[in-house]
Amino acid sequence: MNDFRVLNTRAPRVDAAAKATGQAKYADDFKMPGMLYAAILQSPVAHARILHIDTSKAKKLAGVENVVTSKEAGLIRYGVSPARYDETIFAHDKVRYVGDEIAAVAATSMEIAQEALSLIKVDYEEIPAVFDMFEATKDGAPQIHDEFPGNINAEVHQEFGDTEAALKSCDLVVDHTFLNKRQDAAFIEPHSCVAVFDHAGKLTLYTSTQVPHYVMRTVAMTLQIPVGNVRVIKPYVGGGFGPKCEATPLEMSCGLLSKITGKPVKMTYSREQVFLHSRARHQFYAEMSLGVMNDGTMVALKNKAVLDGGAYTSFGIATVYYSGSLLGGPYKLKAMKYDGHRAYTNKPACGAQRGHGGVAHRACFEQLIDMTAEKIGMDPVEMRLKNIMTAGDMTVNELDMSSLGMKECIEAIREGSDWNNKKGKLPKGKGIGMACGFFVSGAGYPIYRSDTYHSTVVIKMSEDGGVANLLTGSAEIGQGSDTAMAMIAAETLGIPLENVRVYSGDTDYSVDLGAYSSRQTLMTGHATKEAAEDLRDKIAGFLAEEMNVEKSGITFVDGIVKFDDAPGNFEKIRTSYIKEHRGWTDQPSGEFLTFREAARLAFLKGGTLVGTGKYKPHRLGGSYKGAAVGTSPAYGCSAQIVEVSVDLETGQITVDKMTDAHDCGLAINKMSVEGQMQGSLSMGLGECLFEEVKFDSRGRVLNPSLGEYKIPTALDMPNVRSIIVESNEPNGPYGAKEVGEGAIMPTIPAILNAIYDATGVRINELPVTSEKLFMALVEKNRIV
Amino acid sequence: MLLPNFEYIEPTTLEEALRLLSDMGGNARVIAGGTDLLVRMKLKIEKPSQLISLRKVPGLNQVIKRETHGVSIGPAVTAADLARNEFIRDKFAPLATAAGKLGAPVIRNRATIGGNLVNGRPAADFPPACMVFDAILKLKSATNEREILVGEFFRGPGETIIEPNELLVGIFMETPAPWTGGSYIKLGARKALEISMVNVAVMLTLQEPLGPIVDVKIALGAVAPTPVRAFAAEQYLMGRHPSEKVFSEAGAIGVGMCHPITDHRGTMEYRCLMIETLTSRALNLAYQNALAWKP
Amino acid sequence: MKKIIRLTVNGEPVEAAVAQNQTLVQFLREDLGLTGTKHGCGLGDCGACTVILDGKAVNSCLVLAIQANGSEVLTIEGLAENGKLHPLQQAFVDKGAIQCGFCTPGMILSAKALLEEKPNPTELEIRTALSGNLCRCTGYQKIVEAIDDAAKVMSGREES
Repeated sequence: MNDFRVLNTRAPRVDAAAKATGQAKYADDFKMPGMLYAAILQSPVAHARILHIDTSKAKKLAGVENVVTSKEAGLIRYGVSPARYDETIFAHDKVRYVGDEIAAVAATSMEIAQEALSLIKVDYEEIPAVFDMFEATKDGAPQIHDEFPGNINAEVHQEFGDTEAALKSCDLVVDHTFLNKRQDAAFIEPHSCVAVFDHAGKLTLYTSTQVPHYVMRTVAMTLQIPVGNVRVIKPYVGGGFGPKCEATPLEMSCGLLSKITGKPVKMTYSREQVFLHSRARHQFYAEMSLGVMNDGTMVALKNKAVLDGGAYTSFGIATVYYSGSLLGGPYKLKAMKYDGHRAYTNKPACGAQRGHGGVAHRACFEQLIDMTAEKIGMDPVEMRLKNIMTAGDMTVNELDMSSLGMKECIEAIREGSDWNNKKGKLPKGKGIGMACGFFVSGAGYPIYRSDTYHSTVVIKMSEDGGVANLLTGSAEIGQGSDTAMAMIAAETLGIPLENVRVYSGDTDYSVDLGAYSSRQTLMTGHATKEAAEDLRDKIAGFLAEEMNVEKSGITFVDGIVKFDDAPGNFEKIRTSYIKEHRGWTDQPSGEFLTFREAARLAFLKGGTLVGTGKYKPHRLGGSYKGAAVGTSPAYGCSAQIVEVSVDLETGQITVDKMTDAHDCGLAINKMSVEGQMQGSLSMGLGECLFEEVKFDSRGRVLNPSLGEYKIPTALDMPNVRSIIVESNEPNGPYGAKEVGEGAIMPTIPAILNAIYDATGVRINELPVTSEKLFMALVEKNRIV
Repeated sequence: MLLPNFEYIEPTTLEEALRLLSDMGGNARVIAGGTDLLVRMKLKIEKPSQLISLRKVPGLNQVIKRETHGVSIGPAVTAADLARNEFIRDKFAPLATAAGKLGAPVIRNRATIGGNLVNGRPAADFPPACMVFDAILKLKSATNEREILVGEFFRGPGETIIEPNELLVGIFMETPAPWTGGSYIKLGARKALEISMVNVAVMLTLQEPLGPIVDVKIALGAVAPTPVRAFAAEQYLMGRHPSEKVFSEAGAIGVGMCHPITDHRGTMEYRCLMIETLTSRALNLAYQNALAWKP
Repeated sequence: MKKIIRLTVNGEPVEAAVAQNQTLVQFLREDLGLTGTKHGCGLGDCGACTVILDGKAVNSCLVLAIQANGSEVLTIEGLAENGKLHPLQQAFVDKGAIQCGFCTPGMILSAKALLEEKPNPTELEIRTALSGNLCRCTGYQKIVEAIDDAAKVMSGREES
């Protein structure tokens, strides 16, 4: 047990009522006087030179206010990582995928904007395209970017220890390959943005993003507006999961059109455009060899990766590094070798998605562990327990596991699922499988090289002392960060949760890198804690002065003030507070001084009270090339057991049960932690069984809808037994760390291992449709 | 997603609706639930200049038990209403099951049986279920009226024999004989919001509880350009005593009637294999239901 | 050409001129400012725009505004009464059934339509009722729990 008053509870979210009543505003809900509606013209062909663009007819259409192309937008290159800026707002010399942006229109209505698009005439000279990641890097393949011969967008070669020698020393080496398919985040809210360029030269964007800070920087750069004049406001966001982690063509087009027209400009993507913009999960090919000793000790891992990046880089460099670095744990290895490359293809660009870069390779690795365990006759749970790291261990690629409840997680699911009575004892067609994983609690470094703080927070007391207003640039995208920050602030200040009000997602409030790499609980949490401590200290200081007591003897708890644990002699303060607030109905009472009275006193002495906090990680990681990717101040970890039923006559798979244990350090809000766990498993289940973005032979998305791109419905998802494991993370605020992404890591391999247990068939390609599994069963029966 | 421009007309009598249909020529479309038509219009697959709504036309949204042994279903009856109708569930179970598997509740509350038939999608849920009852479709125009067996209604993907000036005004089915059971099985990826990869409806009648099969109808969807009856399999089953072996043989014969395609939902090969499996399963299920028949 | 429609929205009579090709979701969001009804796909694939039309949960993106002439429409804004959350809304808040919140209005309305028909639904009935409403955040579990809780409160089996 702990002494927390607010933290570690099941508090309802601070934004829940607004969302339950429809009052919560999302970007597309904004409407402003004189607002224009914008739309983007996207390429209908996958690879072509642009010979000529004629916008004259579109411009003449009544109601059209402006049409912009690369001529107006300029050719400033942008992207995610400055090392690979390979995009311009609009394509100018050629288009590289079906969906590449060519022009944008602003008009007085959406209908007119759409009609105007149809009046823009573009002459294309189609050139050969390449859609397959293996074909793309062959000799003679069509070249997508002149600067990247062979369509190699990025490559990584890393080795830790002597892998070949280590493999030779092993009793057994097992190989496995794995292929996933391009997936989509399928958040329910399509991207939307309203841009307002005002007469003072300031651009304000209301946009559905995970990263207001990066959007601000990118838009300022591409539109050539001083960065201080760009304000990005993130209203409520209907899910992100990664693809909303970068500036979008819609933000830049709206910004440009608002700058030119002087009017607010709004654009919302259709669902099809969400698929065309993509920036979601890559297609990965993994090839691995695991060397072990007969007693089950893991020794060395060789890992190869090929990534289908699509036409631009997006987050891709980080992605291709993550596919290697995130296999460094949670098992002890003596040696690890990784060779990966990301290929350009004429398809929408892939980027980051929940479990960035790690999911497919984790799926391959965890299957490989099961295959190995079977060969040496060891229980998969035992094999993992034998090799896991514990707190204080360093991975072979120098990731520091400052806390790691891996053992607790595995033991919890083994018991929670009754593994010992099920493994090997289920009837044909029923199976049980397990897997583990770990993930960063915030990337160790910003996307651009900088000494910037990763997060700053301001807490400003209301003048009456009753409300702590928390200002942060962090991004609440549904994961519950506003609530977590409110809880951390309330706990630290010693006041009830309802006395904290969070204002977030605004670049004018504070610096925060945003909601990606599962960073906000730890990083924004630290800054929040520090800001609250600063504020608490100030209030205590003024109070000590007034009461003529030692500051160190003052404590705030549950909204009251204790002086050396006693009420103290505060009558004078109370009398004057009541006098000041004559006629108010909520006058302070009781045997202790209230925090409100103390904060009011402090205001009277010092003016508006502000506490500030900041955070950046200490120096992390090794010194080898790419050592930064994968570093984090802390790592969350998880283990899952999945039980499936397979209809052996059709190949249909039903996931019957899932047991999930996750070590998130201290669970700030247990209800939110469970929500992240259950949501991660649902996404993992979908990716494993249903989800695939499909293309036709000309690079057009075949299934750009939520009808044909199938995410799980309420009938496809079983209940999850969610077990929270709490280690004490020394680098986390109050010992807290991530849950948002790590929880998806084990899901896919646990399902695949369960399918194998049920059928004896190892599936090495996603998604495992009923057809794929049935055909594999047919094949197996043919051989047997 | 924007809809193209059109004129929306809400006739209040059947006569008016039929007159409008003949006046408008081929440019008008009838709208009932709209769950399919509006999607196709948003995707710019269809661009009718007029939408003639059945909303105010009386008598089209009722399920009527006929005095003479059977049921008359209005074309504007929703899938949700069919799925929960006690009489349909009892006597026309495959129809109720198919209705309950269409899309999801928010779709079923709008989608109508008439729309589902008239759209002529090879994978639609209602056609096979209607085919095993040899449903009769009543088509009416301003000047003419005809009745047609549902099995002769479908021509190809999205094509039926209905003329642009005709309206489907009723669906009639005879109540099956005693000791009849039915079933409907849909194979899709998810458990809701699915378009069938293969679907099968079966109606099977026994002479008596332990007697031979005296009537059987098997209809399959998503396996050919139109939904099809597996006549050869039906023929094989007639007069035989039900058994797993007989049913599985019928499944194998059923595949012969089908010409499924390979598309992004599934390959021809898998579909053929599933026709066999699901036909035999549906027969088994129908048989179990026949044994449980109650007057 | 616009046409006049008269309908009841959240208990209030509304008269408005609508374009014939305007969908109900557009009418609610753009003309009435009821932006609690969300637009997620426009094709009936996601359920974010679910409203209750004459007692039935429907995708308002697949209903023409003009088809709602003479009808009763209930949106998420019409659920709370006198500033007090509806038991379903309260249960969604209390049970952690809301994350990003974009599917929430549709989920709550699908649940409301269910509970009017079946006050004591089984878990399978709840899941079936929600099966046209996609959620990418929660894995549905806490939503199902919240509806189960609300059903108990509403049918008087449990105190709120």
